[in-house]
Amino acid sequence: MQKTQIPAASEAVVKSRKRREITKNLVAYSFIAPNFIGFAIFTLAPMVMAVALAFLSWNGSWKNPIEFVGLQNFIDLFQDSKFTQALFNTVAYAVITVPLTMAASLGLAILLNQKIHARNFFRTMMFFPYVASMVAVTAVWNMLFNPSMGPVNMILSSLGVENLPRWSADPNWFICMGTVILFSVWKFMGYYMIIYLAGLQGVNPDLYEAAALDGANPWQRFWYVTMPQLRPTTFFVTVMLTIQCFKVYDIFLMITNFGPGGKTRVLVGNIYEAAFTSRNFGYASAIAMVLFALVLLVTLFQFRGEQSMNE
Amino acid sequence: MKKMWKKALALMLALLMVAGLAACGSDAGDNSQAPENSQSAESKAPEGSEPVGDEEVTLKWAVWDINLTTYYQPLIDAYVADHPNVKIEMVDLGSSDYQNALITQLTGNADLDVVCVKDIPGYANLVKGGYLSDLSGEGIDATLYGGTIEQITVDGKFYALPFRSDHWVVYYNKDLFDAAGVEYPTNDMTIAQYDELARKVTSGTGADKVYGSHFHTWRSAPSLFAVLDGEHTVVDGNYDFMKSTYEWVLAEQNDGICQDYGTLKATSTHYSGVFFNNQVAMMNMGSWFIPTQIEKVKSGESLATNWGIVKYPHPDGVAAGTTLGTITSVAVNAASEKQAAALDFVKFVGGEAGAEIIAKTGTFPAIKSDAVLDELAKMDGFPADENSKEALSTTQVYLEMPMHDKAADIEGVLNEAHDGIMTGAMTIDEGIQKMNNEVSALLS
Repeated sequence: MQKTQIPAASEAVVKSRKRREITKNLVAYSFIAPNFIGFAIFTLAPMVMAVALAFLSWNGSWKNPIEFVGLQNFIDLFQDSKFTQALFNTVAYAVITVPLTMAASLGLAILLNQKIHARNFFRTMMFFPYVASMVAVTAVWNMLFNPSMGPVNMILSSLGVENLPRWSADPNWFICMGTVILFSVWKFMGYYMIIYLAGLQGVNPDLYEAAALDGANPWQRFWYVTMPQLRPTTFFVTVMLTIQCFKVYDIFLMITNFGPGGKTRVLVGNIYEAAFTSRNFGYASAIAMVLFALVLLVTLFQFRGEQSMNE
Repeated sequence: MKKMWKKALALMLALLMVAGLAACGSDAGDNSQAPENSQSAESKAPEGSEPVGDEEVTLKWAVWDINLTTYYQPLIDAYVADHPNVKIEMVDLGSSDYQNALITQLTGNADLDVVCVKDIPGYANLVKGGYLSDLSGEGIDATLYGGTIEQITVDGKFYALPFRSDHWVVYYNKDLFDAAGVEYPTNDMTIAQYDELARKVTSGTGADKVYGSHFHTWRSAPSLFAVLDGEHTVVDGNYDFMKSTYEWVLAEQNDGICQDYGTLKATSTHYSGVFFNNQVAMMNMGSWFIPTQIEKVKSGESLATNWGIVKYPHPDGVAAGTTLGTITSVAVNAASEKQAAALDFVKFVGGEAGAEIIAKTGTFPAIKSDAVLDELAKMDGFPADENSKEALSTTQVYLEMPMHDKAADIEGVLNEAHDGIMTGAMTIDEGIQKMNNEVSALLS
C-alpha cells in the first residue's frame, strides 16, 4: 500500500541516484580492468589450471591424451622416497635458515644503526650480496669452498684441521646442507637488514630515554623496547623469509646441484624434474600443491601467532 | 545494491576465467588437428615427382650454439646453392637447456620446420609427444648409418636422421709419456691394461702433479666401461654389473691417479682445461673434442701440443674398437606445413653429401664412409701417427643411452646414484641398490 503512495518524483530521484552509482562503479572497474585482465590471464588462469593438473595425468603434449586420475598423483607422492626426502630437506632448510638470517640481519641492522664511520659504505656492502647475480656469487663461493684447492680449506688445513670438510660435495648431510644454509644467510641478510633498519628508524627515541631513566641496561632496553617495537617488522620478515625458503631452488641447483647423490634435493627441484625431465606435469603439479599448502599453513600459523601476541 | 555489484563482479570474474580456459582449450583443439594436417602433407609429398617445387620456401631450423658450431652455415650454403628457391633460417635455442626449450617451442606450435635432436632421452620425449614426423618409408638407406638408425627405431619407425655420430677414444699427451719413460697407449688395450698404464704414468705432487687418467664428471665417462661387453645396457633395471667398474675407478680416485670427482664438480672444471694444461696423461672423451683440441693447439691455448688418440679400452674378450657413441640427429616437426621441403633438407643434412661437408669442418658425421674418414684424418693439425688415424674407425658402438620410453627418468636416477658413489655419499653397493630399486620402480 505504502509503495504505491510514493510520489513519482521521489521514485525518479532514486532511479537517477542508482544510475549515477552504476556509472561511478563502472568507471572504477574500468580503471582496474587492465591490471585485472592481465592478472586473470597470466596468473589466475594458470593457477587454476595448475590445481586442475594435479588431478590429471599429462605429458605436456597437446597430441597426447589428458587423463583424469583423481588422487593418484597424491598417493604416488607419499610412496616416493625422493619426495619425502625433498620435503624433509625443504622444511629443515627453512627451519634453520629463517632464524639464522633473522638474527644476522637484525644484528647487522642494530650495528649499522649506530653512528659509526662510513656507515653508508658498510650498509651498501652488506646489501651487495642481495643484488649480486646468483650465478656469479655461487661460482665464487664454490671456488672459495673448493674441497681440495679452495682458500677456506687451505686456511683450515694450515690451522691444523684434519679431515677437512668437503663442503658442497661432502657426503655428510649436515655439511653439504650447512654449506647451502651458510650461503643463503649471507645472500639474504642484506635485504632483511634494510627492512630492520627501516623498522629501527621508526622506534620512538623517547621510549629509550624513559627506559634509561627507569634504570634499564642496554640489554633490557633492547629486549623491552626495541624488540616489541620491531614486532610488525619481525612478523613481515618471518613471513617473507619463510616463503622464500620454501620456494628455494636456484641456490641448491648452483651450489650442490641437489647432490651429492640427491642428499640435498628440495621440493622445487623435484617439481622441475617431474615436469621437465620426466614430463609428468600432473605429478609436478601435485608436488606444487603440497608446497603451496605447506606455505599457506605456515603463513596462517604465523598470522595467528601475531594476532594472539597483539591481543 | 552493493550485494548486486559484488555478484556482478563475481560473475565477471567467472566469465573471464571461463574465457581464459576456453581460449586455452581452443588452442588445444587447433594443435590437436596439426598432426592430421601434417600427415596429409606427408602423404602428398611422395606423389609429386619433385619433392620440392620451385616456389619460394623458407625453412626454420632449430639448432644450438650457432656461433660455436662450424658446420651449420656450410651445410646451408651447399643446400641453398642447389635449391635457390629455399631459404633456411636458423633459430638458436641455446645449448644448456636445448631439449626443454625445443619441446616448449613445439608445444606452443612454434613456427619451426626442421629441428636438431640433441640426445636420446630428448628424442624419446619428442617421439612420445608426437612432435616428429615419421621418416621411415622416405627412402632412407639405414645401412649407411653404422647401426645407429636401428638403435633409434621405435615400433618399426624412426623419426630422426643422425647427422653427427661421435665415439669415445682415449686422448693422450705424448710429452708426459716421454717424460715418464712410459710407452704410449695402444689401439688394443684392455681396461686392466689402461688402469695399469695410468698408474705408471702418474707422477709429481702439488702444482706439478700429472694424473695418469681423467674422468670427467659425466656419468658416462667412468661408468659406461661396464656396458662394453655387450651383455648389459643401462636400461636393464639391474646394475650389479657396474660394481667392478666403480671399484677400479674409485680406487684410482683414492690413489690419486685421477682427479677427485667432488672437486671437479664443485668447480665445474671443464675436461678440456685439464688436458690443455698438461695435467693429465690420458683422458677418455668423445671424438667431438678432436676439432677443439686442434684449434686450441693452433691458437696456443692448449699446451698439450704433442698428442695422439687411441681406441677405447675394452673388457677382456671383447674386440678392440668397441666403444661408446652418441648421435645428434635432425628431424621434421610434425606440425610443419612444409613437410616435403623440410624432409628434403633433413635428407641432405643427414645424407652422404651432408656428411662430407660436416667432415670438412673436422666434425664426425653419422655416415662414416672411407672418404669421410680420410677427410677427417687429413685435417690440418690431426696427429700424424698411424695409431691416431686407425683410432677413428670402430668395431662396435654402443649408444651412451639406448632408446627407451623412460630414458630421461632412468638417466636421472643413474646420474644421482653416480654422484652419490663418486662423492662417497653412498657406498658402491648402496648406489647400485638405489639404481636397482628406483629404475625397476620406473620400469614396472
